[in-house]
Amino acid sequence: MSVKYIPVQWNTNKWIYDIVLILSVGIYLWIFIEWGPVLLDHGKPVTPQIHNARAFGSCAFLMLTLILCIGPAARLNQKFLPLLYNRRHFGVLTLFVALTHVGYILDWYYAFSPTPKLEGVLTANTSFGRVLGFPFEVFGIFGLVVLLLLAVTSHDFWLKFLTPRLWKRLHMLLYPAYAALVAHVALGALQDQTSPWRAIFILFSAGGVTALHAAAFLKEARSETTVSLNDWITVCDADDIEDGFARVVRLENGERVAVFRSGESFSAISNACAHQNGPLGEGRIVDGCVTCPWHGFQYRVSDGCSPEPFTERVPTYNLALDGAKIMLNPDANPPGTPTTPVSLGENGK
Amino acid sequence: MTAATLLTIAEYWLIIGAICAAVFLTFGIDRIDEDARGSYIFRPLLVPGVMLIWPLVLWRWQVLERERDNWKLRHLPERKAHTAIWSALCLVLPLIVLLGLAVRQTPPDGAPIKLEEAR
Amino acid sequence: MSENRTPFFVGYLSAPKGLRSFLLVSIVSMLLFFAGVGWLLATTQPDPGSAGFLPGRQTLIGVLENKPYPMLHVTEGSNRISTGTTVLLSGGGKRGVQSRGKDLEGAVVRISGQALARGDLQMIQLRGGMQGLADMSDTEAPGIDVEDLGKWRLQGEICDGKCLAGAMRPGTGLAHKACANLCLTGGVPPVFVSSQPVEGSEFLLVGNANGEPLTEQLLDYTALFVEAEGRIERRGSLLVFLMDPTTVRPLP
Repeated sequence: MSVKYIPVQWNTNKWIYDIVLILSVGIYLWIFIEWGPVLLDHGKPVTPQIHNARAFGSCAFLMLTLILCIGPAARLNQKFLPLLYNRRHFGVLTLFVALTHVGYILDWYYAFSPTPKLEGVLTANTSFGRVLGFPFEVFGIFGLVVLLLLAVTSHDFWLKFLTPRLWKRLHMLLYPAYAALVAHVALGALQDQTSPWRAIFILFSAGGVTALHAAAFLKEARSETTVSLNDWITVCDADDIEDGFARVVRLENGERVAVFRSGESFSAISNACAHQNGPLGEGRIVDGCVTCPWHGFQYRVSDGCSPEPFTERVPTYNLALDGAKIMLNPDANPPGTPTTPVSLGENGK
Repeated sequence: MTAATLLTIAEYWLIIGAICAAVFLTFGIDRIDEDARGSYIFRPLLVPGVMLIWPLVLWRWQVLERERDNWKLRHLPERKAHTAIWSALCLVLPLIVLLGLAVRQTPPDGAPIKLEEAR
Repeated sequence: MSENRTPFFVGYLSAPKGLRSFLLVSIVSMLLFFAGVGWLLATTQPDPGSAGFLPGRQTLIGVLENKPYPMLHVTEGSNRISTGTTVLLSGGGKRGVQSRGKDLEGAVVRISGQALARGDLQMIQLRGGMQGLADMSDTEAPGIDVEDLGKWRLQGEICDGKCLAGAMRPGTGLAHKACANLCLTGGVPPVFVSSQPVEGSEFLLVGNANGEPLTEQLLDYTALFVEAEGRIERRGSLLVFLMDPTTVRPLP
């Protein structure tokens, strides 16, 4: 936020979030690493380094799967928004778990060899021409590099510096990375298993993520209408907007506008939060300010400015009333431009 | 290209990145982001990021220095690409898993076959 | 209408009342979910077999044979490796010992190191220098029996002999393929694990039809279930699969 940058902004909810995360990961690893060999009761146990690599690798995959479920789940049901609130810490922790997996693999499968470790990763298996026996490690490398890239650019500075749009483009690399990691486990760990559970785990993970995204997409496609760019656009009847909430209009040029109602007056601001381009129109007015559903950034409806001491601003749009209909001028005003809210009972363009 | 060459290229990439990080974080960042002025503890956190994406950092730095930033783009989320990527992934993800299952081998139990007698 | 809306969560404020029970349930579900998946994936791992390092250091005397890969026909065994058996040899880590014994082909040597074993497959990881492999060529070398067992078609997996013999558990399978290839390129002897025992043994040292090493051509086929043809010889107690690399094909 627009006070001086600090390394990590924690608050009570983030502490709770992080504690739950660390506990979950801790329980997973504790059961896998400490109890796994006891429960398996093999004559001779799996080599600890391999066992640990499996524990951390599967944990990282599970974490990434859940991270990818949070977004569409929150779009399907706003109750899940608290899970999205601190998703970046979830991602960073996933990187550390994945790095530990890679550490065990490098220091075991690629160690003790005349070939240097990193060179070994690239040269040990060159069966690129076949599916079975394909060097699935390259998918893992891609996934790891992307996780690393996202984790090191997760500070709010990067959002402001790169712009949310470019930042998001960069962070959308997570999607191909997940596909690569599904390939990494499907062509690696999945092949070495006689019990069906690993296959079921991978199927449910990839299937679940796919289904949730498809469902969220369908829900969104149904709820939005696109309008073409005329001089003035009819938004809806004034009474269709609930007090404290917004109606989102998608313009033909791709912009989205959130038309908010505060009591009897109406104002329009860009739907994209200045912080991470969160959907302001899905937020509500809290203490007189539009509040982003993602991270709680706030803007005054009339001028799109964050209250002091914050300095974020979003573009505003001019409104007019035509009888009971709300009309929108699709030309955005530069961020922070004051507008005059229109009120019911007031008339004309 | 050999693996060693690739690793050398990666090494140089990171070295150049480290130099960029040193310059950008000691004086560049203050020029283009007022929230960073007087704030130093968070800067080491940015070092790995600059090392990885230094060309992007240099580009954004000059855009902001010349005040050529397009404010409209800041408020135009990349939602079309999101839809396109997930439409593709809805097909690709299940396909990858099915491919993995399809090529999976079961341990063979075929008996050894003697093709020729001993000489 | 507002009453039907989901309570609104703002990160820096305390969670709204209507959301607290949902969040509590989410937290508990998350912990249980991680515990459950961890338990499920940990306890369904396949048994890696009983291969491993044997305790203590073994000192053996025997006849050294370098082709296709270094092996020792033991003439004076230890308490764990009996006289008359044939053991494979490797160096430390993923290294072979080809260079160390290249001038001692067919000579009597004394070796010392750690033993690894999986069933009747035995390997010694030599210590460094003269302590690991000492020339005793002034002792007359006994003849080693070589018996041709005919030409065979086998199904099974090509592994590196060292991880298979217990340096790693499991030392087989696709997740281990890169490691197996590094072992093979480092000079560790490749071993064919047959689907069923051939003439009493399921582990066969691999060489080419001329009895020479065959590392490069194997790398695309390691860790897969394959079928391959070639003559089989019994040298000492060890079976050697003199594989024709053009006949190797992955099984469906």
